[in-house]
Formats: sequence, C-alpha cells, structure tokens
Amino acid sequence: MSSEHTPPSSSAISAPSSSRKTRPHARTSLAIVLGRASGGLARRLGISGGTSLPGLVAQYTDPQLIRRLAAQAQHGCVVVTGTNGKTTTSGLVAYTLRAAGLRIWRNREGSNLARGIATTLLRRAGPTGRLEDNGDGAFVLEVDEAAFARIATDLRPRVTLVTNLFRDQLDRYGEVDTVAERWRESLRHLPATTTLALNADDPAVAALGDGFAGPVLYYGVEQTPTHADSDSVAQVVDTRTCPRCRTPLDFAPRFYSHIGHWSCPGCGYHRPTPQVRAAQVLSAGITNSRFLLETPSGSAEVTVGLPGLYNVYNALAAAAAGVAMSAPLDAIVAGLTRFTPAFGRAEEIVADGRKVRIMLAKNPTGLNEVLRALASDRATGKKRLLMLLNDRAADGEDVSWIWDADFEQLAGATSYLAASGTRAYDLALRLKYIGDEPAMVEPEIGAALSKALEQTPVGETLYIIPTYTAMLAVRNELERRGYAPRYWEGEDV
Amino acid sequence: MSESLESIEGETPELRVGHLYPDQLNMYGDRGNIITLRQRCAWRGVTLRHTAIDLGEPLRPEDFDLLFIGGGQDKEQDEVARDLRTVKGAALREAVESDMPVLGVCGGYQLLAKFYRPAEGPELEGIGILDAWTIHKGKAVARCIGNLALQWGEQTLVGFENHGGRTYLGTGAQPLGRVLYGHGNNSEDHQEGCVYRNTYGTYMHGSLLPKNPHLADHLISLALRRRYGPAADAWMRPLDDAREWQAHDAMLRRLGVAPRHAAAVG
Repeated sequence: MSSEHTPPSSSAISAPSSSRKTRPHARTSLAIVLGRASGGLARRLGISGGTSLPGLVAQYTDPQLIRRLAAQAQHGCVVVTGTNGKTTTSGLVAYTLRAAGLRIWRNREGSNLARGIATTLLRRAGPTGRLEDNGDGAFVLEVDEAAFARIATDLRPRVTLVTNLFRDQLDRYGEVDTVAERWRESLRHLPATTTLALNADDPAVAALGDGFAGPVLYYGVEQTPTHADSDSVAQVVDTRTCPRCRTPLDFAPRFYSHIGHWSCPGCGYHRPTPQVRAAQVLSAGITNSRFLLETPSGSAEVTVGLPGLYNVYNALAAAAAGVAMSAPLDAIVAGLTRFTPAFGRAEEIVADGRKVRIMLAKNPTGLNEVLRALASDRATGKKRLLMLLNDRAADGEDVSWIWDADFEQLAGATSYLAASGTRAYDLALRLKYIGDEPAMVEPEIGAALSKALEQTPVGETLYIIPTYTAMLAVRNELERRGYAPRYWEGEDV
Repeated sequence: MSESLESIEGETPELRVGHLYPDQLNMYGDRGNIITLRQRCAWRGVTLRHTAIDLGEPLRPEDFDLLFIGGGQDKEQDEVARDLRTVKGAALREAVESDMPVLGVCGGYQLLAKFYRPAEGPELEGIGILDAWTIHKGKAVARCIGNLALQWGEQTLVGFENHGGRTYLGTGAQPLGRVLYGHGNNSEDHQEGCVYRNTYGTYMHGSLLPKNPHLADHLISLALRRRYGPAADAWMRPLDDAREWQAHDAMLRRLGVAPRHAAAVG
C-alpha cells in the first residue's frame, strides 16, 4: 500500500462546489470488511494477488463499491487512460497535485483493471463505508484502456485524461478503431462536470472531444528542435485516416507515429489548438527533457527527469490535468520538476557501482520512441543495451510486432547489445536483420542480467529495454540482489 | 556476407515486389516479411524493389515478379474486397495463372479465396483464385489464436495465427501443410493454408518469413526463375541461417515438435 501522505497543508485548490458526500451503505461496509480480510488472509497464506483479491471479493459483495467510494473524495478523481504513458503520467499528475497541497491516493501498485481500482479504493476506506480522512483527498487512477469503458461511469471522474492511442497487443485489445469506439461510447455516459484532457496531436484521441458534453482541454507540442523524424517512412502509423471522414490525413510536421500537426484534406477537420502546450521543446535527451510550458495561467520553462519527446507529452498531459484541477502554475512546474520516474519507466537503479536504466517498451510505437531517445543521444557515446522480449499473456503472445518497430535506428548506436527473455531468439533474429549481431543471446533473464552487468564497467550505464513481464522479472532480480526497493506491481495482469 | 556476385550477362538482378493495400492490410508483422525478402535478396546481390499498390490503382502484372497481400480488420477488408473484384481482379488472376509467386497472409489469404461469411452481415465475395472459403461462426466460437507449427513437405514451418473465421478447402485444393501444433485453417481437419500454382495463402504470421528462411528462399527462387530462367539458380547461394533456425527450432521445441529440417537447408 502506498504511503503518499503529505501532511495536510493549506490546499491551493478549492473543492468542487457540488457535495460529494453519500450516505454510508451496509453492503459497502460488508464489502470493505470482507475485501480487507481476504487481502490479509492472502498475505498470511503467502499467496499472491494482494492487489486484486480484495477488490474482487469486495466488488462481488457490493457491485456499487467503486461508485460509492470514488464519490467521496473531496477533490474527486483524475482518471488516466491511453495506450502508452499511463503510469508515468499518473505519477506526474500526483506530484503536481501534491505540490498544490492535495493528498493523493493512487493505484500505483500497478493494478489498473477494475478489481485493482476497487482494491485501491477500499484500502482507503473504513469499515463504515466511508473514506478515511478525506479532507484534502483526490484519487489519481491509472485505468487500463479496455477496462476504462466498464468503470469510467462508476468513477465519475472530475478529470479524464487520455494520453494516446497506439496499436498494442492486437490479440487482447483489438484494433485502434475498436478501442476508440469503446472510449467514445463510455465518454457519452460521463457527466458534464467531467473535464476531458486530450492529446491534440493524436487525431484519434483529439476526436474524442467531438460532441463531448463537458469542458475539453487540449494539450500538444508546437515546436521541437529539428524534429526530423517525419522522414522515417518506415515508421508505424496507427491512425492514418480522418476520424470524421476517413480521408488519409496530412501531417505537418509529424513528430512520431501519428503524433503531430494533423489535418484532413477531405473535410478540413484539423488538430485543435491546445490550451496547454510546449511552445518549444528545448531538448529531449536520454536523461531529461526541457520545454517551454504555456498554460492559460502563464508560462514557464520546465525540466523533467525523463527521456524523449514522448515524455514531454506525458508532462504536458499532467500539466493539463493540473490546469483542469485549478492547480496554480508554480505547483504544476514544481510537481513536474520533482518527479522521479516510476517503476521500470526510465527508472535508474544502482547495481554494484553500475547504473541500470530500465525503459519499458511494450508495443511498436513505444519501442520506437525509446530506441530513438537512446540512439539520438550522442552526448554519452555508444550505449550498452540489454533487450528483453517475453511473450506471456500480459506482453502479448504474438511477437510479430518487433518486425514493425524501427530497430534500424539502433544500428551502430550500441557498444554492447544483448538479447534475453522467452523470445530471445526472435529478438536476436530481428537484430540480425538490422546488421547487428548481439554479443549475447540468453533466454534466462537472471543469467542475462549477470552477464550484461559483468560487461558494464563500474560507473557506466547499462540500458535495459524490457516488455512488461520481462520488466517485472528484471526488477525482481534487481530487488533480490538488494539493488532496488521492493514494490508490488503487475499481479493483476 | 557481401561478396560481389556474378550476374547473368552483366545484368544486375532485381526482384520487383508488389505490396497490395499496405495501408489497409497491415497486420502486425507484415513488414517483417518484406524486410526478410529484401535482406535475403541483398545478401545475394539481388536488388529488391518494393512498390505499394493502393486502393483504386491498377495492377500491371508485367511490372512485378512477386506479390504480397497482408492481413487486416473486417472494416478494411470490405473496401479491399471491392477493389480486388472491380479494379485488380483480372490482372491478379493473370499473374497467378502465369505462375507469379503470390503470398497472402491471414486477411490476404481469405481474400484470395471464394468468400468470407461473417457472423452477421452480408457475405464478402473473394476473388476465388484459391478453392477455399471462410466462415465466421460467431463470437461464441473462440478465435484461433496462438503459435502454430506445420509439416511442409519434408520440413516444418512455424508462425503465429490470430483469426476468427474458419477456412475450408474444396476437394481438389492443396493445403500448404499439415498442422503439428495449433489450429490452422479450421481447427478440425489438421490442414493449414492453401496452395495453387505459386500462390500461397496462409494464416501464419509472427512474422512468417524471418523464422522460415526456406519458405522465403523458395518464394525468391520462384520469382527469379520466372523472370531470369533456370540460370537464376546460381544466385540462390546458401546463406548462414544459424540464427533463423535457432529461432525456428526454439519454437518447435517449446511446442513439443521435433525439428525436421536438415542442418544446412539451402
């Protein structure tokens, strides 16, 4: 359970005027008691499931549980969904709102399906069915893009933030159009008191603002330094056609995949002007990114300790959520600046004098952007890189997507390249086709980590790019060896 | 890898690959098939020219040596099926009948066959080059998803399948291979894919060609011979495929299927 308690301070944010109190309910009380007991029992018996079992039990007892508990947070719920950047963005939102004086509750144990959300909520509630100590409270909840449709209406979010929409695990989520249609349908059921914060530069996400009942706040990037990458014709583009009329879109410029300044030559639909924006991205390196943030309440230069342009988007998303929650600009800037990366998302761990930087990549676009951040950073020379490809259920059992990712940009950028994971040999083969033979191919992640660390001189950095379950496995190895603090994540997937 | 190669009568060999509907049919991994064809040609001194043939554009068989059609979603397949029937059908049939190698994967395979009957809505008429048809039996019937291994002649093929429809072959039609692991065409008759002349339809992606270098080379060889005659075999120098077979065999072992290829398959 996270202990993210800031001492109650004078909150800079005033609570929404509508009363969020509800009457306690006997069934909710029972659900909380049973849910908590099941979690305790599971822990005592040493069975995993600590982040999902209580929620499952409690939801079974009271199907209204999420609705009843979420409604009580004084400052409401911020819900973060989308394909990439959910965990990082909700972390950034939490830092921002905490800097504005709120007490933030998150589902940062990583369980972003309905039962995990239920667990998060009931852990903050007493046996009476009331949230404990909800004076300055707000929830910041990361929600799986497929689960969003089912629980968005129960959460009645004050802010719903959508990061982006890319192809991810076609066997699980289906095509991007299907996901967008499901989102659109569930947004129809949200109250007009919800503010939608949307990525203006992703056409499929921006179009969700079309006809939405409540206020819509767009965020986007105006200019980047030489963002050059529109030239990479090989890039995966997951949304090619106009969300309104299906004419192929024009991009000028296109920053990556289908993210950029888009317009439709058919019906004239175009990227909405963002109210929260990076007027200029000053740098987007491997260790941090700097940009000029403009909001309706003023401008500031911001440095976030995260690599790549894709993380500038995550920071802008968080700034938009802050604006939607009426957080002052200085709190937004302070929150973004103070942020430290989440579990496995550009997180840095020191192992035996070596730095280990883990950068999760779980779909072609995510991987392209991580590879770009790595390959375009010439300042620190060639990189030592261990790539981990697993094909478990939470990774997607179909690894075809590695052939869509632009590994070609990696050619010549590494001084040490190794492949591991359940599909290490597929990865090695992909690397062969860019003309880079890996120095080591070792399916077992623990053994691969040991060998890769041996190949990394003290003081140098080993970069690790894992898929989701490989990230859990490598982090577990680092924990076991005493290099990283312990966390619960991923039991729900 | 890149020793210079003698070319027939001073000609620089090339293969022209026509990629049908890459914007509409671009399932995970289709790009892997093209990358593999290109590299395996390049390693042999053969230049591969890759051309997209989009909706509405005519297909000129004389401009190509090999055709590829990938997989897609139902929405896209509607448009593509119409375009195949009305714009490119006759030319595609001409290419197939003149023994041009054609590879259709997943949705591309279904479109090369006679029809696709969805769970609801109207039947989608295919181009009927392959004597096969596909029936979607509704959402209650599980999709065929997972790893797939085939017996292909004396050898094996490995891939990944993800399809809702079940495909059945006509009595005279030739399957690509026999299912050793997975579902294949319909999960009933142990058949997978369909072959007619040099046209190959299959549900295998994963991607298909990288881990099946013998199939990639078979297609390249067919295309080179068709264009340059039997002397083109001289270009089909064996490559070092240790990595390819390592990945291929690792999947076979995982699926409990014994490897059946000779160590150095040319």
